[in-house]
Amino acid sequence: MILIDTFIDEMRSIKNSYYKLLLISLFPLLSYFLIISIFYDGVLENMPIVVVDKEKSQLSRGLIRKIDATKTLSVAYKLDSLKDASALVQDAKAYALVIIPKHFTKDTLTHKQPKVTAMVNTQYILVGKIITSALNSAIASSAGELEFMNNLVQYKETHLSKEALSPIKLQITPFFNMYQNYFLFLVSALLPSIWQIFIVIVTIVSFGELVKSQKDKEYFRKNTFAKIVGKMLPYTLFYMLLGVLSLFYIYGTLGWVFEGSFAVMIVAIFLTVVAYQGIALLFLVSGFDYARSLSLGAVYTAPAFAFLGVTFPVYNMNDFALFWRDMLPISYYMQLQISQANYGANPSYEVNTLFSLLLFWLVFIPVYLRFKQRVSS
Amino acid sequence: MNFLQTLQQEFRTVFSDVAIVLTIFGGVILYSFLYPQPYAHESVSSLPVSVVDYDKSDKSRDLVFKLDATPQILVKREDLSEEDAKAALLRGDIKAIIIIPAHFKRDISLKKSPTIALGADSSYFLIFGGVLEAAMKSILTESASIKIGTKLTQNIPIEAAKKEYTPYVLKTINLFNKNNSYTQYVIPAVFVLILQQTMLIGLAILGGGVRERAYKHYNYNTSTLNIMASHFIIFFSIFFIHLLFYFGFSFEYFGVTHLAQMGDLLKFSFAFLVATVFFGIFLGSIFSSREIATPVILFSSLPLVFSAGFVWPLEALPEWLRVISNFIPSTPAIEGFLKLNQMGASFDMILDNYVILLIQATIYAILGYYFIKKQRKNIG
Repeated sequence: MILIDTFIDEMRSIKNSYYKLLLISLFPLLSYFLIISIFYDGVLENMPIVVVDKEKSQLSRGLIRKIDATKTLSVAYKLDSLKDASALVQDAKAYALVIIPKHFTKDTLTHKQPKVTAMVNTQYILVGKIITSALNSAIASSAGELEFMNNLVQYKETHLSKEALSPIKLQITPFFNMYQNYFLFLVSALLPSIWQIFIVIVTIVSFGELVKSQKDKEYFRKNTFAKIVGKMLPYTLFYMLLGVLSLFYIYGTLGWVFEGSFAVMIVAIFLTVVAYQGIALLFLVSGFDYARSLSLGAVYTAPAFAFLGVTFPVYNMNDFALFWRDMLPISYYMQLQISQANYGANPSYEVNTLFSLLLFWLVFIPVYLRFKQRVSS
Repeated sequence: MNFLQTLQQEFRTVFSDVAIVLTIFGGVILYSFLYPQPYAHESVSSLPVSVVDYDKSDKSRDLVFKLDATPQILVKREDLSEEDAKAALLRGDIKAIIIIPAHFKRDISLKKSPTIALGADSSYFLIFGGVLEAAMKSILTESASIKIGTKLTQNIPIEAAKKEYTPYVLKTINLFNKNNSYTQYVIPAVFVLILQQTMLIGLAILGGGVRERAYKHYNYNTSTLNIMASHFIIFFSIFFIHLLFYFGFSFEYFGVTHLAQMGDLLKFSFAFLVATVFFGIFLGSIFSSREIATPVILFSSLPLVFSAGFVWPLEALPEWLRVISNFIPSTPAIEGFLKLNQMGASFDMILDNYVILLIQATIYAILGYYFIKKQRKNIG
């Protein structure tokens, strides 16, 4: 059968080409390894901050200890000069500058409610947010302890004084990503973003080399469709395997819970890989120029991560960004991955998204027609 | 050929190679438009939530009103039961559920501290964080007003009561990126990477193309130095203009701050461009064909963005990764440009980054020279 012959042919060509071998093995694994290494810790600990204590009293030192004792923060510098301290922040050696005012103790005791000032570097938004919330809770809890003591004096009863401290309580339940871990959050979206780049590039390379050497006209003259499918197939299988393995790595070996159905994910992986292969071929047939189609593939796949809506929410994107997002199969794939892994949604609920992925397969019609046109010219 | 003839030939070669032109002009312009798109609205706002109010008192309605008034939260639905709200959450209609318990008002006056339950989708950290921040703020102000009310009943004057509800407070000030704008956060760093990657791809396609003799009418009869100098002049000038376009026009257009002194910025840009040109010439000298550059450089993009320290801090990266990534111009360049232009640092604060770039430029110039020379010998 022609399809199988072409498949075996392509497998042989992979065996004989270092470049293709690297593209399906070492390169993706290395990129995955780098991303995993970057986020391996998953949580931020001991982020350096600088404190300017203008009072140096028992109370202020107690507060500094409290800040330093948090997991997230570490009081790396204690300085007297505001100028030196803010230079440390500008130089990114410290992520925040905390100032304890003069007369801190006196103002506290006389109910003047002194302000502890924190200047947080929010150029690095993620770090800034984590530090702001760690500072907030450190100050709130130390102020709370003090207030508790005051109330105790006032009400003479521990139970009532606790209630007076927080008249309304907030109980927070994070749904889905219960771990509050950045590894799971970012890596589970970054690996698919790299994956789609590889699928497009490898497909262009395998067909492009044929085009570059001008052998494609002869090659695709007969049984065009079977040959296209057969030549794609080894990569379809390799990248499906890579997709399944990375899911298994994240949810199988690292112990995060996968709530949904793996079967749905395997279907999604299959649909996504083939969709990207079709789009890659569309770039190639647009001008039958190997290097140029690689450039198109780069423009198309490189910015995908930003459009996924995993970091910056979809709700706040403009119409163009939403349109571009809809043009990327990986957006649908990510939607599926989140709803299966985190929500454990009923598979029947995913039919629409799977169908959207399937729609990308329509690109094979122009691809086929262009190949037909080329071999007959 | 003499130097001028070589320069002319290289200039013609660059501009007749569609893949190079597409990358170093098309790519640079397209990316400058495309990358900022997701963040056009800059910050996270109006996240849809559902409120389940089991109390339906004036106090609970007041709280719902306070929640809705925060920039982050939009009370999109009011559900009668938790089940309805949960179904809406699974449909993706809303991202969080806030439940106000029955007897909320009564429990407050009895000092029984009722508990508000907040459940939010933490698959998306910015959404989770935004909802949480807004809910905490509204509840804290509500609590504070209750505490003040209690004090007032104890005949404490209002001014004193207002200050007495907590012994001291934290006042946070956002430095540099005051509104937590995502554009401000991502664009200054990613633009540096785009300039680097497009330049590297352009140079490496050219280098690979010359090596595999992909260009017709290309005269190899010239010196290695002539070739390197020509590539340097062509790419340095093109990307110097791109850099001015990015840091000047694009920053202005997307409202990104630029605090650096012109002289400092140009001096640092010079080091960045020189290091990148020589790195590109070096890559071109080791790639054996035109088509290797785009894939290899493309694959490095995401790892490079995330090891540059602006998303995930350098302190949290493994040591070996920090060392390796400093061999690529973008890492010291992003750090330096952010400090200089976004955080208003002085030049001596980024001297490290500057020196690293100059060292890279020297290393890659020597390696590039060596490999091109060797390769030309093989060609004969």
